[in-house]
Amino acid sequence: MEREPAPPLTGTALTARNLVKRFGDLTAVDDVSFQIRPGETYGLLGPNGAGKTTIISMVAGLFPPDSGSVDVTDIRMGPSSLGAKRHIGLVPQELAIYPDLTAEENLNFFGRLQGLRRKDLKSRVALVLDLLGLGERAREQTKKYSGGMKRRLNIGVGLLHRPLLLILDEPTVGVDPQSRNSILEAVAQLSTEGTAVLYTTHYMEEAERLCDRIAILDQGKVQAEGTRDELITLTGGVDRINLIGTGRMVAAAESLRTVPGVQQVSGGGLSGLTLTVTDGPALLASIITNAATAGMAVTSVELTRPDLESVFLHLTGKALRD
Amino acid sequence: MSPVAAIAGLEVRRFLRDRSNIFFVFIFPLLLILLLGSQFGSSAASTRVAIAGGAGTTLEKALAEQLTSDRLQVYSGSPQAIREEISRGRTDVGLFISEQAAQAFDDGVQAHMEVLTASQASGQAALQKVRASVQIVSSRQSQLSALMKAGLTGDAARAALERSKEQVHAPTIDLVDTGDVSQEFRGLGQFDLGATQQLLLFIFLSSLTGAVALIQARRLGVVSRTLAAPLSARQAVSGLALGRFGIAVVQGIYILIGTALLFGVDWGNLWLTALVLAAFSAVAAAAAMVIGSLLDHDGAATGLGIGAGLVLAGLGGCMVPPEFFPEPLNTISSLTPHRWAYEALADIQRHDGTLADIMPSVGVLVALAVVLLAVGARILLRSLGRAL
Ligand SMILES: Nc1ncnc2c1ncn2[C@@H]1O[C@H](COP(=O)(O)OP(=O)(O)OP(=O)(O)O)[C@@H](O)[C@H]1O
Ligand SMILES: [Mg+2]
Repeated sequence: MEREPAPPLTGTALTARNLVKRFGDLTAVDDVSFQIRPGETYGLLGPNGAGKTTIISMVAGLFPPDSGSVDVTDIRMGPSSLGAKRHIGLVPQELAIYPDLTAEENLNFFGRLQGLRRKDLKSRVALVLDLLGLGERAREQTKKYSGGMKRRLNIGVGLLHRPLLLILDEPTVGVDPQSRNSILEAVAQLSTEGTAVLYTTHYMEEAERLCDRIAILDQGKVQAEGTRDELITLTGGVDRINLIGTGRMVAAAESLRTVPGVQQVSGGGLSGLTLTVTDGPALLASIITNAATAGMAVTSVELTRPDLESVFLHLTGKALRD
Repeated sequence: MSPVAAIAGLEVRRFLRDRSNIFFVFIFPLLLILLLGSQFGSSAASTRVAIAGGAGTTLEKALAEQLTSDRLQVYSGSPQAIREEISRGRTDVGLFISEQAAQAFDDGVQAHMEVLTASQASGQAALQKVRASVQIVSSRQSQLSALMKAGLTGDAARAALERSKEQVHAPTIDLVDTGDVSQEFRGLGQFDLGATQQLLLFIFLSSLTGAVALIQARRLGVVSRTLAAPLSARQAVSGLALGRFGIAVVQGIYILIGTALLFGVDWGNLWLTALVLAAFSAVAAAAAMVIGSLLDHDGAATGLGIGAGLVLAGLGGCMVPPEFFPEPLNTISSLTPHRWAYEALADIQRHDGTLADIMPSVGVLVALAVVLLAVGARILLRSLGRAL
């Protein structure tokens, strides 16, 4: 028998409306709104102190917003809203596992808090241990784990009960690239299975790789929101293409200037040609064809695009990481 | 399993899992009871009296016989050895019989004996008993000499006295044994008193020092995960409270069973003992919640836990029996939960106390637990918010 209602395929998994949270004089979260659909991964990207954890705490119902509201599916979230909490899985920024218990005991305990029962609990624990690659050391006290293993378990506890909405607060901090990779893969996998994911990070590479939509957060405010590409166009930024090769470079440069979307072509010596274009990936094929037709033998191509780092810089006038 | 039971079960499990607890929770209490029992237990149970000199005299024989029949432990030794034993607290009273005294006793005139007692309260109580025994011996001797003066032979006089003793049912013994304190500990086994005291001391001590777990849980960040799960904050706090209670009860039951099996301690009516234990454990659990919520530092909580645990136990009569407390201390003592539990347990153990007898003490404990729990739950709830 299926324990949990089927996830809604349409509609929203999470709706946050005009969230405000103040700590004394500080407005930690200032009128933040966003929506997440099932199967969508939504990123909150911002530097230390931007308000990411505070937003997540309100989304998870740990404390109420000063104003604004959170709905999980169509259930209003709040500290005493058990109905809404049933659908979320929280992976806190700080490790939230008992070091004196084994991985299995940790999972069993939190699984029970989620309402999982004997058989279901047992199979879910086994599955999650396997997914995290912790099966072999499941009966070891977690204080003996490496940092990466603890992080993985920390995440595992959050997804044990198959939540509709998985909330991850900087889950990869202090994790080696290999563990990080397997964490990101696991999240991506859940997303394809229909889980809505709220993901905070101050690593722009993670946001770019994982998130369907991203909110750029600074000083409690959403500075911009959209897909990665949408955000990048905000900068009015252009892509740079570097062509290296031999042959008739000057003729090639002439020819490339006539390609629609190419704004500028410079160089021509040994360093090759540098083009500024509006949409690099789309133009790449015709640029190479044009250069070849004009008599240049292209040996190497390099496309440089503006990234979220430059978006953040553009929006706030400061770097994402201090 | 409900989330409340899951949280409570986890708390108890983590307590049992903690290796540093093995010694202080399971070995140390029994060790202490064993030590106390072999050190003071025998003297608390039966008073030790030493007789020096006068070996083989009528006086010596009469005294030894009477003291023994009054259930005192009697032995003889050299004056020097006895003085030393008394100064070390191993003997309560020393009686020194001079040749003149023995002779005077035989002659039926007043005999003077030197008496030496330990200076502590138990010595005074013992002296009281010895005095009563001596009084019986001397009144018998004066009766005897009166009968002989009236013309009876020694044997006839003795026989007459024997008969009168059988007919008149030794009222003197009940009459003279009036010391409240000595009366109080009558019939108590060697380890019984120490076991009661350490039971209460350790239930409270383990609970208070265990409060560190609440502080650690906040620091571990598991609080936010718990509160994000589908259970109310009230359930979370109830689970933590129940866990603290479970830990106190585990400690109590362990000492109860351990002392009964190892030292043959007789706890009296088990149901009533369990009731007192439950009420006292609730107070201990609530006190632990208060400490674990108010403090944020492990070291401070452990220090306060040990300090408060020992001071309350001392005031509550878990070190020196409260029966020996002088007045202002006696009143202060009744402000501790330990004292109320002690009185209730003493009632059950020594006087076959009934539910009605212990109800006042249990009532005070329950009231204290309710008040402390209400306060503890409230500040614990607030402390969880602090952890987010
Ligand atoms: N309980 C609190 N009391 C007072 N101020 C707080 C509290 N929690 C957060 N703040 C403040 O609110 C602001 C946002 O904090 P928050 O933890 O949400 O940032 P964050 O984006 O998660 O940062 P990080 O990347 O460092 O985790 C910060 O200035 C922080 O100091
Ligand atoms: Mg944070």
